[in-house]
Amino acid sequence: MSTVATAARHELLASVRAKAPYALVAAFLGMVAASTFIGWRTTVTVTAIYQQVLADGLTTQPNPFTDVSPLYYVRNTVIYVLLIGSLMAATLGVQSALRDRRAETAALIGTRPVDQRAVRAGRLAGLGILLAGLVAITELITWISVSAVVGTPLTGSETLAVAGFGVLTWLLLVGFAGIGVLSGRLLRRERTALLAPVVVWAVIAFVVPQLGTAARPVSLLNPVPLPAQASGAFAWLSQALSPLAITEHFKTSSAALLGSPYAGSALVSALVVAVFACIALTAAILIRVDRTTGGTHE
Amino acid sequence: MSELLTLARKELLDLRRDRIVWIVLGTLGIAVVLSVIVASLDYRAQLADYEAYVAQVTASGSGVTPAAPQLFPLQLLRGGMEYVEVLAALFALMIGYGSIAKERSRGTVDLLLTRARSGTSIVMGKLLGLAILWAAIMAAIVVIALVAVATVGGAAIGLHEIARMTLAGVAGWVYVLFWSSVAVAVTTLTRNSTGALLTLLVAWLVVVLVIPQIGDTMDPDNQIPGGLFKALAIAKADEHAVLAHFSTYESARNGLEVSSISKLYERFTFATLGIKEIYNGHSLAVVWDGTFRYVYGAFAFTAAALTFAAASGRRIHTLRRS
Repeated sequence: MSTVATAARHELLASVRAKAPYALVAAFLGMVAASTFIGWRTTVTVTAIYQQVLADGLTTQPNPFTDVSPLYYVRNTVIYVLLIGSLMAATLGVQSALRDRRAETAALIGTRPVDQRAVRAGRLAGLGILLAGLVAITELITWISVSAVVGTPLTGSETLAVAGFGVLTWLLLVGFAGIGVLSGRLLRRERTALLAPVVVWAVIAFVVPQLGTAARPVSLLNPVPLPAQASGAFAWLSQALSPLAITEHFKTSSAALLGSPYAGSALVSALVVAVFACIALTAAILIRVDRTTGGTHE
Repeated sequence: MSELLTLARKELLDLRRDRIVWIVLGTLGIAVVLSVIVASLDYRAQLADYEAYVAQVTASGSGVTPAAPQLFPLQLLRGGMEYVEVLAALFALMIGYGSIAKERSRGTVDLLLTRARSGTSIVMGKLLGLAILWAAIMAAIVVIALVAVATVGGAAIGLHEIARMTLAGVAGWVYVLFWSSVAVAVTTLTRNSTGALLTLLVAWLVVVLVIPQIGDTMDPDNQIPGGLFKALAIAKADEHAVLAHFSTYESARNGLEVSSISKLYERFTFATLGIKEIYNGHSLAVVWDGTFRYVYGAFAFTAAALTFAAASGRRIHTLRRS
C-alpha cells in the first residue's frame, strides 16, 4: 500500500477513535437536522403575517414568499456549515496534527524512510474522506427533512442542487481542516493551536465582510444577504477584500444553488471557495515546519 | 481570605508572563478600533449621499428635504461591542481553561493542595485572579473605545459618554467572568484536557453564536434584504399591531434569545450606549426600566457559574496528568 493510502487509512481510524470532537460533530449534525424545521416554521409564520397584513388592508405588495423553492427551507444550513462545520473541520485538523505529538510518536515517524509530504497528503486525504462522509450524512438529513416538510420527495434537479451544495460544503470544510492541521503543526500548545484557526475564522467571517460592507459583525450570520453598500470607501474595500471573504462567497454560491436570493456571481464565488481549499491544503502539505517534541502541555 | 489573595496573586503573576493575555488585549482593542473606523466611514458615506441628494432636490426647485443623518458617538461602538460579545467570551474560556489545565499538565495540583485549605479555595483563588485580570482588560477596552470614538469618529466625549461606556465595561466584565467560571468548572471536572477544551468550544458556539443566530433568523423582519415590513411599506405602528397577533411566536423567539447570556449582555449594552434606537437620547433611568430583567438574568447566570466553579473545586483531587 502506498504511503498516502496508509496514512489516509490511519488518519481515518484515529479520527473515528478520538472521541473528543464528537460533541462538535453532534452539534453540527443536530443543527443541520433542526435547520429545515426552523426555516419551515419561520416561513409559515411570515406567510401568516403577510396574510394578516393583507387582511388589514395595509399593503398591496405581492407576497415575497410565494412560490419559494422547497430548498429555501435549507438556507439556515448554510449558516450552520459556516458556524459549526468550519470550526468542526478546523478542530479535526488540529487534533490530527497534535495526535503524534501527544503520543510522542512524531519523532519516530520522522526516522522512517518515507516521504513526509506523502504522509501529510495521506493524512489530509483521510480527513477529507471523513469530512466527505459527514457532509454526505448532512445532505441526506437535508433531503429527507425537506421532503418531509413539503410532503413530496425532492425532484432530480433539487437533489442535484443539494448534492452541489454538499460539494461546496466539503470544499469549505477541507479548507478549514487544512488551516487546523497547519495550526496544530506550527503552534506549541493545544489551547493556542485551537484558538488560532478560530481567530482566523472570525477574521474571515466577520472582519473582512464588515470592512467591505459596513455590516454589523453578527448580522453577517443572517442567511438573508445585506443590501450592498456601494458608496464611499466601501465599494473599493469590498472589491479589494473580496478574495478573502470566503464565507461570504460560500453564502453567495450556496444561495444560488438553493434558490435563495443572492448578490454577485455564484460561479466566481464557488471558484473562490475552491481556490481557498486548494491553497489551504497545499500549504498544509508543503510547509515543512513540524514540532516533534515538547508535547502540548499548557 | 489571605489564602485566596495569595492564590489570585500567583495566578496574576502566571498570566502576566502568558502571551495570550496580550493577544487578547491586542485583538479586542484592534477589533473595537476597526469597528469605529468602519462605522465612521459609513456615517460619512451616508452624509455624502445625503448632501448629494439635497443638492439634487435644491437644483430641481423642490423645497422639501429629508432630515440629515445624525451622529450619535456611542453608536459607533456597535460592531466593537459585538466583537467583545463574540471574541471576549472565547478568550475568557481559553484563559479560564488554561488556568486549570496548566496545573494539571505541570503536575502541580497536588502541590497546591498541600498549601491551600481546599480545592474550592484553589478554584476561587484562580477565579479571583482572573476577575482582576478581566477588570483590567475591560478598563483598557473602555479607554480604547472612548479614545477611538473621540479621535477616529471626531465626536466629543463628555461625562455622559464616559458613564455609559463604563457601565458597558462593567457588563462586559460580568459577562466574561461567567465564561471564565464555566471554563474553570468544566476543566476541573473533566479528566481529559482535550475533552474539556472541545466541550467549552461547543458551549461557546451554541450560547454565543447559534442561539442568537436562530433568534435573529426567526425574526419576521429579517427574512428579506432590507426588512419585510419595509418591503411591504408598513409603518412602525402598524408593524407592532400586526405582530401582536403573533405574540406566541414572538414570545418563543424572545425566550430562546434571552436563554443566552450573550443576548442579555448585548441588549443591556446596546440600550446603555443608545445603539438601540428606542433608548437613544434617554436617561439611564429609562434604560434601567427597559433592561433590568437582562441585568438580573446576566447576574443570575454568572452567580450560577461561580457556584458551579466553587463546587467543582471539591473534585479537584480527580485531576490527572493528560
